[in-house]
Amino acid sequence: MSASPVETQKPAKISVKGLRKSFGTNEVLKGIDAEVAEGEVVCVIGPSGSGKSTLLRCLNKLEEISAGHVIVDGFDVTDPKVDINEVRRHVGMVFQHFNLFPHMSVVENIMLAPVELKKASKAEARQQALKLLERVGLKEKADARPAALSGGQKQRVAIARALAMNPGIMLFDEATSALDPEMVGEVLQVIRDLADEGMTMVLVTHEMGFAKEIGDRVIFMDAGVVCESGPPAELFGNPQQERTKEFLSKVL
Amino acid sequence: MTRGLRTWPRAVIAAILGMFLLFGGAGAAMAQPADNGVEGKTFVIGTDTTFAPFEFRKDGELTGIDMDLVRAIAEDQGFNVEIRSLGFNAALQALTSNQVDGVIAGMSITDERKAVYDFSEPYFESGIQMAVAKDDDDIKGYEDLAGKTVVAKTGSEGETYAKSIAEEYGFSVKALDQSATMYESVKAGSAVAVFDDYPVLAYGVAQNNGLKTVSDKVPGGSYGFAVNKGKNTALLAAFNDGLATLKADGGYDKILDSYLADPTAAVPTTFVDLLAKSFPALMSGLKNTLLVTAISFAVAMALGLLAGFMKLSRNIVVRGISTTFVNIFRGTPLLLWAFMFYFGLPQLTGWDVSIWVAGVLTLSLNSAAYVAEIVRGAIQSVDPGQLEASRSLGLGYGKSMQKVVVPQAFKMMTPSLINQLIIMLKDSSLLLAIGFGELLYQGQQIYAANFRVTETLVIVGFIYFIAIMALTKLANYADRRFNK
Repeated sequence: MSASPVETQKPAKISVKGLRKSFGTNEVLKGIDAEVAEGEVVCVIGPSGSGKSTLLRCLNKLEEISAGHVIVDGFDVTDPKVDINEVRRHVGMVFQHFNLFPHMSVVENIMLAPVELKKASKAEARQQALKLLERVGLKEKADARPAALSGGQKQRVAIARALAMNPGIMLFDEATSALDPEMVGEVLQVIRDLADEGMTMVLVTHEMGFAKEIGDRVIFMDAGVVCESGPPAELFGNPQQERTKEFLSKVL
Repeated sequence: MTRGLRTWPRAVIAAILGMFLLFGGAGAAMAQPADNGVEGKTFVIGTDTTFAPFEFRKDGELTGIDMDLVRAIAEDQGFNVEIRSLGFNAALQALTSNQVDGVIAGMSITDERKAVYDFSEPYFESGIQMAVAKDDDDIKGYEDLAGKTVVAKTGSEGETYAKSIAEEYGFSVKALDQSATMYESVKAGSAVAVFDDYPVLAYGVAQNNGLKTVSDKVPGGSYGFAVNKGKNTALLAAFNDGLATLKADGGYDKILDSYLADPTAAVPTTFVDLLAKSFPALMSGLKNTLLVTAISFAVAMALGLLAGFMKLSRNIVVRGISTTFVNIFRGTPLLLWAFMFYFGLPQLTGWDVSIWVAGVLTLSLNSAAYVAEIVRGAIQSVDPGQLEASRSLGLGYGKSMQKVVVPQAFKMMTPSLINQLIIMLKDSSLLLAIGFGELLYQGQQIYAANFRVTETLVIVGFIYFIAIMALTKLANYADRRFNK
């Protein structure tokens, strides 16, 4: 890594300062400030189009950032001198549509990054991948193709793949939205286990009950800004903003 | 006879010639110094592919009056000849671009050609005759042609003569490119008669081409051996000396008699006989077809992948280069590039471009333009989430493309690539225009000598069909095997 960690006063794992993001003339994020502490689980909720997925994708720079700063693990990802690939190795990401590699077996999906980035030999990577699969309850599917798995199984493999580089942060982008209802539980259980292990996580989710249960803090976003943020009991039990109340009355 | 420049209009020839004059210095290096002798030297002589009895293939060997004559003269004068059977127009192109030293191809000496080439003394006095189908008892002379259509060779004296009397006798003239196809159209009834050079007609009739001659000869032009203007003067002088010797010692008459007085009727009589006689030549043609396709496809894949990726580049210059390349080769005919690489390139650069190099360049650059589009389309059709997932793991763009996107794109593009390979195999037949010895070229050589056009084409078509079916099966098997 070419740049040295930025001096911060609080030991925040993720720090977002004045983040703006536009697609053409459409400004999707209009100045976001937020922090995530080590071991904290933050759930981001809000209506469609509020910018919550875009915010998440800015955290590992899958979206170019228009203005502001995003500091992850002490590295400012908006600094062109920072090797974004190095930062991403410490930030696992899980997508709504799984995005498993269909031309590889389940275990090869998980081995890809450790082997290609020379973090492990093939044999070591396979051993580690099998352990991860065991953790998500899919060891027996190691040599199957993704096409042979159910949606819930695919998402659990995707989580195992995101964990393969041993990241300190996990990002979940509507990880259960594309699943049939009966498969949501198995995926949430894996996420719950990760939270219990103390993983720093940011989850964009529509599962309000789950957000309430698992989140240390909930951020409500609307129209590209953070509208309200606080512990789940407060935000769900006693929302302060009209917009929050309106939204919660629709989804709860 | 005046055989015209069949494939290219004269203006194009003039333009090429202009280019030659402009870049003339390069070509001059290849020519012989003016006052050197020819003894012991080897000269490359271009000729037609299909002009029996002057040049044609018999059992795979080039033979005919022109061939025997130039070889006898070479022997008499102590030089060596290397014959290149290019086709009439192609031979003249090659002469202009100094790819060959001389041309002997049943070519009439005309003022127009004298402006560009230097000619020997005439070695044959030709003339025009009319022929009709063997079983046609209606047409006995010009007066029976009223209201009918006749055929003649494009730009030939036969055409000039037929047109000169067309109004008087009330018939119309249609021009075709090859003797064999003219005879076929008379046999098929789309024309009632053909006007052609008498030795060519006489030879064809003797080979059972299904025609008979019904008029007297009309005296026509004289044939001459040509060198590029101002070049190879020693070769031209040696040709004249040798011709004079042969005429004096009777060798000349012997050669002519062997083809005209008593043509060797070695024509296969049955289909099986034809198949057996033509098989070795056709197999060597097939070998060249497959080889040039294989090499060209490998080159096209490499170039196409490169150009396809360049089209996806964020850099506008890189993208522009690739787009220009694709547009140029998709927007121009394959045949044009065959001529350009084989005749144009040597004139522009002075390089010695072999027919294999020209053939591979033509096929591979054309195909690469299509492969580039296939590659670009396939890569763009891979779900963007695949690249994002790979990038989110910390893999760089190049690694992500290599390990995640391209393998999936390749699977998608395989059927299109197989298609492209088959198109290329068929397109390789166009290389016959520059005299490349591929399958259809060999077929032409065979029917030009025996006039069994339809049967030969059926055999050639069948070989193409079998080769392409086998290739398709093989490619589909490989697709299933490796792209599970």
